[in-house]
Amino acid sequence: MKGSRCLHQLKSLRLLSHAGRLLPPAAAGDNGTLFRPRSSSQLGGLQCAQREVLRHFHSSPACTKGQPARFVQEEDKTRDKSLVTHDDLFEQVAKEAKTKATFNKVIDVYTKGDIRRRGHVEFIYAALKKMPEFGVEKDLTVYNKLLDVFPKEVFVPRNFIQRMFNHYPRQQECGVQVLEQMENYGIMPNIETKVLLVQIFGEKTHPMRKYQRIMYWFPKFKHVNPFPIPEQLPEDPVDLARFSLTRMANEWDAKVTVYQLPCTDVTESGAEVTLPHIVGIQSPGQMEALAKHNPDRPVFVEGPFPLWMRKTCVYYYVLRADPTPPEEKIEEPYDPERCFSYPLQLDLDLDRDLGDDESFDVEDLDEGPVFAMCMTSQGDQATLNQWISGLQESNPILGQIPTLFRLGAGPRELQGVGDADSASRSWFPSHVQREEAHPGEEAEAVVEEAEAVVEEAEAVVEEAEAVVEEAEAVVEEEPRRSQGVKQ
Amino acid sequence: MMNMNRLIVFSRTFRIGQRLLGCHARHAGKEELRLQQRRSIKTHSRHLAYAKDLFLGQVNKAEVFPYPEIGNDELEEIKQLVAPVEKFFSDDVDSAKIDREATIPPETLQGLKDLGLFGIMIPEEYGGLGLSNTIYARLNEIIALDGSIAVTLAAHQAIGLKGILIAGNEAQKQKYLPKLASGEHIAAFCLTEPGSGSDAASIQTRATLSEDGKHYLINGSKIWISNGGMADIMTVFARTEVEVDGVKKDKISAFIVERAFGGITSGKPEDKLGIRGSNTCELSFDNVPVPVENVIGEIGGGFKIAMNILNSGRFSMGSSCAGMIKKLIELTSEYATTRKQFNKSLSEFGMIQEKFAMMALNAFVMESMAYLTAGMMDRPGIPDCSLEAAMVKVFSSEGGWICVSEALQVLGGLGYTKNYPFERFVRDCRILPIFEGTNEILRMYIALTGMQYAGKILTGKIKEMKKGNIGLAIGMVSKKLRASLGASVDLGLTGKDGVVHPSLEDSAKKLEQNVSLFGSTVESLLYRYGKTIVDEQLVLKRVADVLIHIYAMTAVLSRASRSISIGLRNHDHEVLLANTFCNDAFFKNNYWMVQLQKHSPENNDANIKKIAKQVLENRAYICSHPLERTY
Repeated sequence: MKGSRCLHQLKSLRLLSHAGRLLPPAAAGDNGTLFRPRSSSQLGGLQCAQREVLRHFHSSPACTKGQPARFVQEEDKTRDKSLVTHDDLFEQVAKEAKTKATFNKVIDVYTKGDIRRRGHVEFIYAALKKMPEFGVEKDLTVYNKLLDVFPKEVFVPRNFIQRMFNHYPRQQECGVQVLEQMENYGIMPNIETKVLLVQIFGEKTHPMRKYQRIMYWFPKFKHVNPFPIPEQLPEDPVDLARFSLTRMANEWDAKVTVYQLPCTDVTESGAEVTLPHIVGIQSPGQMEALAKHNPDRPVFVEGPFPLWMRKTCVYYYVLRADPTPPEEKIEEPYDPERCFSYPLQLDLDLDRDLGDDESFDVEDLDEGPVFAMCMTSQGDQATLNQWISGLQESNPILGQIPTLFRLGAGPRELQGVGDADSASRSWFPSHVQREEAHPGEEAEAVVEEAEAVVEEAEAVVEEAEAVVEEAEAVVEEEPRRSQGVKQ
Repeated sequence: MMNMNRLIVFSRTFRIGQRLLGCHARHAGKEELRLQQRRSIKTHSRHLAYAKDLFLGQVNKAEVFPYPEIGNDELEEIKQLVAPVEKFFSDDVDSAKIDREATIPPETLQGLKDLGLFGIMIPEEYGGLGLSNTIYARLNEIIALDGSIAVTLAAHQAIGLKGILIAGNEAQKQKYLPKLASGEHIAAFCLTEPGSGSDAASIQTRATLSEDGKHYLINGSKIWISNGGMADIMTVFARTEVEVDGVKKDKISAFIVERAFGGITSGKPEDKLGIRGSNTCELSFDNVPVPVENVIGEIGGGFKIAMNILNSGRFSMGSSCAGMIKKLIELTSEYATTRKQFNKSLSEFGMIQEKFAMMALNAFVMESMAYLTAGMMDRPGIPDCSLEAAMVKVFSSEGGWICVSEALQVLGGLGYTKNYPFERFVRDCRILPIFEGTNEILRMYIALTGMQYAGKILTGKIKEMKKGNIGLAIGMVSKKLRASLGASVDLGLTGKDGVVHPSLEDSAKKLEQNVSLFGSTVESLLYRYGKTIVDEQLVLKRVADVLIHIYAMTAVLSRASRSISIGLRNHDHEVLLANTFCNDAFFKNNYWMVQLQKHSPENNDANIKKIAKQVLENRAYICSHPLERTY
């Protein structure tokens, strides 16, 4: 309905422009206000106003009277040296403030400045490039405004030959680029965009096709992610940890426990102590698996592992064990006296027919169970030990199982480096070590090869309460959440 | 017999064919095996309950034809018993009040005791009425008119004291049965626990031998115990430590526990949807001392006892539901014939007529199944009728639910009010598919028991086929070909040695066709799934449904044939009902069996599983709301 109404408006607009055929086509788009004086000029009345308008046509600066002088000068300069790019225009404004308002102002200046819209393709390209700088790259209205810069009606093919060949290819290409950038930022065009495109390029042109493709795919892809991340992540680290952990565990019954809220304490000696937050998650299934774990085999606290949430990276730690060796696996024997009502197994010597075996041949890789996960702002052993003792309340068996800490360096080396590459690799201990070699990083927190740590730790198989004081293995630095840049 | 002969003739022709094909050498070694198989079929087909043989595509007609009859003296007994019970239920039982106040008044209970209804099946030497299963079923038709009383009595004698009756020793019987029979003591059956329904492994209640070795101390809690609040004697199942081959193991044992032993507390009665007058509550046992002589059977043998009790109590539900539906027909037909709309009485409208026909059909089928099963159980020896009993229970509980709901529908808005008893019947009836083993579990039992039986016999044959035995394959193909060319199946129900009355011949033919197709369906299912069929619940459900309907067809044919033969009043109506039901069931069975074929387009199972999986993963209905967003 809405679309047809718009198209109807468009038609009436066309009729209007037919009336003013003699006008330069560029003017037709301007709501038809411009050619009214013109027609009146033919009647020979209101000469004064008419002259002004006419002058307006010939020399655009006249209309910029109301604008700040600076812009006018800008405009002049640009026109004087017509080869100067429109980037300058934006850069001039950028000195003041980079906001949506100023960006719009630049567009306004341009559109009002030159009625013929000379160099509008270059202007639009320049504007597209500057959009992220002004923070308007996700604003649909700005895109529409930008499209509005195109003169209307001019590029619409009028006969089949024009339609057959690429009519005004540069302009069409530019229009496609605008849509392309919208696509890249995930902005869905609206009906206004469509009306503009029809006005500018006409139906069945490249930009229109592009628009149609976007409208075909976007609604389908927009909600395709079954695990959507909200646009705005929670600010509070505890809330963020809670959100990330539930997202990773993705189990309904998994329970998030806040073992410690972040707080700042002042000790008796007057020193300020910041307690990190510790948030953990565990599901009933994991508790059950942990309860069945052979207490002779150690469990490991490992981490930090990165988790990207849009442009934020958080780190988590896991409590896991090595896979049970095959000789320790006990299969529960079938108990014929298990079910009161019906046989749970048939005593038959017949297997499933191959033709009805619909299972895939998947190679099983036993990775070992993960019993729990946690997030904390401080990944040192003391803090993680606090987590383990918290876990022990609901999993008493942890008191009997030796717990080993296999901690990599915190995420701190990302801070200075800031390249996404090291961020993505940092969780490999060996890589961490290599990154550590950077001068200026705390070299004393060098982490040995993971195997070495394990060996060392296994040599010191202690009670869970005992803290493993392996300086190499422990990273005392407070790991801060880094703001990596997603490429 | 005919069949057997034909089989032999056929196998001979195959042998010739094989010789021609040059497979002789390969085949010779299996000659002996095949002979063995044939012999085993012969020996097994006798002395077996009826339903299991259906899985082999055989009709063991001696088991179900003619329809079981009772002796004349028993008939007299029934006449004497039924009249006073009927009178009591119509005059002295106020079901609406029982439902409203959620309790059975003591004078009503006393009346039931005086009628001897607390000891219907307890032998006379222990003070009971000592009646057969058939008469028990007959009495249940009347008792079922009040759901609360029916459940109270069933919990008492169908499960509560059954343990003592079937597995108790003489001393236990002498001590407990007389008082239970008179109703002085009321019994309860304590198996279900918060964490355990059918799963014996999760029973937590534990019985430990005291130091002096004279007592077991029972600790734990049981839930949803019918009569739990008023029972004096309880059959309690608990875990005990038993030494098997030198290894200590936990096994279930059954105990007779008196409330007087102390340490038993019962919780608040549950507030239920229906059967509100019956008492259901939680029982907790805190160090209850039970003397060792109160162990039922032997220690560690509780599992078998529990299974036997549960399996034996179910058959009577068929007659109960039939009794209820017969009552409903009386109640609603009066309304339907007097109420006028558009100058026509309701009874002239086709859709109302359909409801009455359906109720009559259901009542007839349930009755037939229930008394056929009861009759089979009353035969000398210990026939295993658990499969048949389970089928009666599933069929009647589901049919009962539909009938009650349709009866209410006839009255429309009136039926929905408390002014009429229909809403109470609907509520009471809802428990039937749930208790005494849910229908889902019973379907598993029905299908798997049969599959196990058929699998044992067919394993050799299927293995041969899988190895590529050409003779067998040709046999299969030719059998299928003959069936598809419309060769009629003859299992001997009609014709020269026929047992079905000629006016039911068409229906009998349909039954034979169904049975034969069922046999080959079972065979192909075993071929396809082998022992993994346990995990194919949707397949098993259909197998059970087909079997239930085949059994129901058998029951109505058997009953109607007898009715014609001895000239019972309105036997033409029975013939009509039987033919209608058989026709209906025949098409239903065919449809289900087509669904059971491989690559059947009628079969939606894969999709159904997928839908359920996605819904359950999200624990919600996952479609976006149609109004959620625009384009």
